[in-house]
Amino acid sequence: MSLATSARSCGAWPVVIALAIGLASACAGTLGAPGGTPLRISQITDVGDSRRQASVRLVIEGLDAELAGAALRALGRYERAIQIDPGNPFVYLALARYYVSIADAERALENLDRVQSLLPVDSRLSPRVEPHVLGLRGGALQELGRTTEADRLLARARQLAPSVWGDARLDVRELR
Amino acid sequence: MARTRKRKTSPRKRSPQRRSRGGRRPAKRARGRLRTVVFILAIVGFAAGFTTSVVVVHLDRIVRTRFDGQRFRVPSRVYSAPAIIYPGLDVRLADLRGAFVRLGYRAAEANRSLPEGQYSWEKNRIRVHLRAFDHPTRSEPPREVVLEIRGDSIDEIREPSSRRTVGAVLLEPEQLGAYYGPDRTQRELVRLDELPPLLVEAILAVEDQRFETHPGIDLRRIGGALLANLRAGSIRQGGSTLTQQLVKNFFLTPERTFERKAQEAVMALIVELRYDKREILEAYLNEIYFGQRGSTEIHGVGEAALRFFGKRVNSLDLAESALLAALIQSPNAISPYRNPKGARARRDLVLGLMATQGRIDEAQRAAATSQTLNLASITADPSDARYFLDLLRVQLSESYDPEVLSSQGLKIYSTLESRTQRLAAIALREGIAELERDHPELVEADPSRALQGCIIAMRPQTGEILALVGGRDYQVSQFDRCTQARRQAGSAFKPFVYLAALEPRIGGPSITLASRLDDSPLELATPSGPWAPKNFDLEFHGEVSVREALERSLNVATARLAQEVGVGRVVDIAHRLGIESHLPLVPSLALGTAEVSPLEMARAYSSIAGGGVRPQVHSIEDLVDPKGNTLERRELHHERVLDEGTAHLATSLLQGVAHRGTAAGVRATGIRGPIAAKTGTSDDERDLWFVGYTPELVAVVWIGFDEPRSVGLASSRVALPIWRRFVGELTGGEIHGRFPRPQSVRVVDIDPLTGARAVWGCPERKRELFLEGTEPTDVCPRGAVAGADEEGFQRTQRLFFDWLRRQL
Repeated sequence: MSLATSARSCGAWPVVIALAIGLASACAGTLGAPGGTPLRISQITDVGDSRRQASVRLVIEGLDAELAGAALRALGRYERAIQIDPGNPFVYLALARYYVSIADAERALENLDRVQSLLPVDSRLSPRVEPHVLGLRGGALQELGRTTEADRLLARARQLAPSVWGDARLDVRELR
Repeated sequence: MARTRKRKTSPRKRSPQRRSRGGRRPAKRARGRLRTVVFILAIVGFAAGFTTSVVVVHLDRIVRTRFDGQRFRVPSRVYSAPAIIYPGLDVRLADLRGAFVRLGYRAAEANRSLPEGQYSWEKNRIRVHLRAFDHPTRSEPPREVVLEIRGDSIDEIREPSSRRTVGAVLLEPEQLGAYYGPDRTQRELVRLDELPPLLVEAILAVEDQRFETHPGIDLRRIGGALLANLRAGSIRQGGSTLTQQLVKNFFLTPERTFERKAQEAVMALIVELRYDKREILEAYLNEIYFGQRGSTEIHGVGEAALRFFGKRVNSLDLAESALLAALIQSPNAISPYRNPKGARARRDLVLGLMATQGRIDEAQRAAATSQTLNLASITADPSDARYFLDLLRVQLSESYDPEVLSSQGLKIYSTLESRTQRLAAIALREGIAELERDHPELVEADPSRALQGCIIAMRPQTGEILALVGGRDYQVSQFDRCTQARRQAGSAFKPFVYLAALEPRIGGPSITLASRLDDSPLELATPSGPWAPKNFDLEFHGEVSVREALERSLNVATARLAQEVGVGRVVDIAHRLGIESHLPLVPSLALGTAEVSPLEMARAYSSIAGGGVRPQVHSIEDLVDPKGNTLERRELHHERVLDEGTAHLATSLLQGVAHRGTAAGVRATGIRGPIAAKTGTSDDERDLWFVGYTPELVAVVWIGFDEPRSVGLASSRVALPIWRRFVGELTGGEIHGRFPRPQSVRVVDIDPLTGARAVWGCPERKRELFLEGTEPTDVCPRGAVAGADEEGFQRTQRLFFDWLRRQL
């Protein structure tokens, strides 16, 4: 007895249809997930609840301040972004990028740990953040002289996001 | 003796003879006398001149020392973290109106233009003209914004000038307190060129109208005052100039003696000779006394503008300027808060004088006179951040001398959130009071021996202290129980035992959340004799799961687990997480017999809440000197001390404790959202703890007596309700965020009775978390093939897709 026959016989059509729709949409969601495209913070201003959105906007203000050469102002913005939403992994990502850029490897790694703690395994954004985390970790380890590990991580980042990590660094504009 | 007498008497004997000899001798004698008198006068004059010179030089030195050195002691101020306003913020929950009031913003009528520091609260809209916030790196411009409200939340923030929508705006930080010197003087220094001219005009009109022309003393004014006082028969009017008032306040005592008045006059002349009028005026305006606020003295127009009108002095209008000028004569007697009628009458008198002297015109006078006093509100501050200020003082004393803190006017920007602090203080105070009402036996007549408590709240990701209340009443006891006390942690220590057991290690046995523990009688030999732990209910529960053991806070199962894992490992993990106190290597450590501080517990639990990353405790953001230079910036630090998977398993266990276990009462008032928590009750119920966390906040509550005395109640009835009140008020009962599951943690269906993997056909199943590689290999029901469930699922899935394809 086929599944359809058995479903028909027990009058479970509505359940089967609902299951089919649910499964199809879940598949579409999975297939449509923007895995692979490296994350830019300005693309996620409408993701999450209002606190996350406000926090992300402050991260963008911080990145803009970095672009304008006002690093301390940028740090102030990141602190405020954490104040609104301490669970926002993208603040720590921006901080990690900043610390790699000033060759403060210890702090960069601290912030990358935080990113990984905060980005759940089931997040649709995880694959887009992954190249940044790998590349930044590679950059920090390079600074610490752990070149073998660093090269491996940077190579992986380059493989995942060649357009961004081709030069083995993450520019503010590339994260913004 | 004889010779002396002879000399003295001889002139008398000889004088009649000389007089009889002719008229030239007396004239000669008179000349001689004159010479003597002149000589004496010269000597006296010289002596007086010399003495005067010495006095003048001495006074001059005093004047120069004060004027050329640091003129004012300015206490350093401590500020809270700024409140952030953003779309989605619940304005009721965030107590936005309260924040405006505390910051001295004034309510204005709707549909009127808003000067800086004012707001209008309309039905679905709040307009506010935010003040500028001066900071070397975090400065904010003054700007008017409109907050569109939907329900209780901000829907949109707009800037009317540019019609742009705004992502987030910051309110300036609130002042939490200041480090005063012995004089407890509060002063905001201002420069003359930043003052509104009308303020200076108002003060000159009423205090010293000929200031620009007199040399330090005003004889016309002194004469006028003398006449007025003679007519009145008592001292009604003073003749002091601004310079004399400045001299009096700077150098002299307030007594009214001739000597002091003379000294004042001489010093006023010296000041006028040495310094220009602008410098004298600026010093006066910063020195002048504006009355008492609580235990502190308000000095200077800068501070007075902040205190009376909640705004910077440069934005005072005419009526406000006149009121400040009016207060100088008698600031406490005509305080506008205590005596608004008297203050208004005197203000109008000042406005009248200004008009009479041609400093303002009649229209200005009339307009200002018609204004109400419009003062900034004084709110009784229930937040009591003094324990926190003491903690900062200790931390700062490593780099800054106490004298520097009380005199150099530093601005210390802290991490404390004023709303969080206020709610913590209220929860603790009211929670203990309620407890005493329900249990009168806990009430102590002597307040110094009363039941005590503390609350500390920390942001787990950053280690920032958001609230710290070290006791129920700072006035009674300044001992900070959150940072200075070391108390037995009780069962709140148990999660460290479970973490030590759950953490993967090479070669050692590791447990999973599905492992079974033995809760049967246990006796261990210790140097002080056999030790046999008992459970709270005095019963043994046989074989229990790891989850059940922690959720029910079973002592025996936990003690046995600590023995299996090794007490040394428990100590190691507790230290790694942030416990710094000495932890003795004894079996009873597992049950929390070691003494730790609430601050340490907050840090250790933050490490768990933060996914195994330990934050450095952080209470100061930065320090800025009066010139606006950043002296120090304290950045966030954290360190991974535990793998994120193990930390997540502990969080999951503690979520179970808050859901079904000893901390389940935490949801009694309907708080929704993720909470992980642990109760802790020490031996004899002396120390009652509740440590709980959400994805964004760790809060520790400790309750007990300072002296060893049993409270006689379990922590779930004492500390838990205080935590629940605090977090409930803070979050509005809706906790945001989640504890993200890391990649290394897998979800597997297990048989709850055996801990084996549940496959189709297993009578009972529940979901459990496992570190990757530690999932159970045994299956339920017995005899089924491991992995059968996946095969079954895949077969069904294949059939379903075949069917779907056929249908399409």
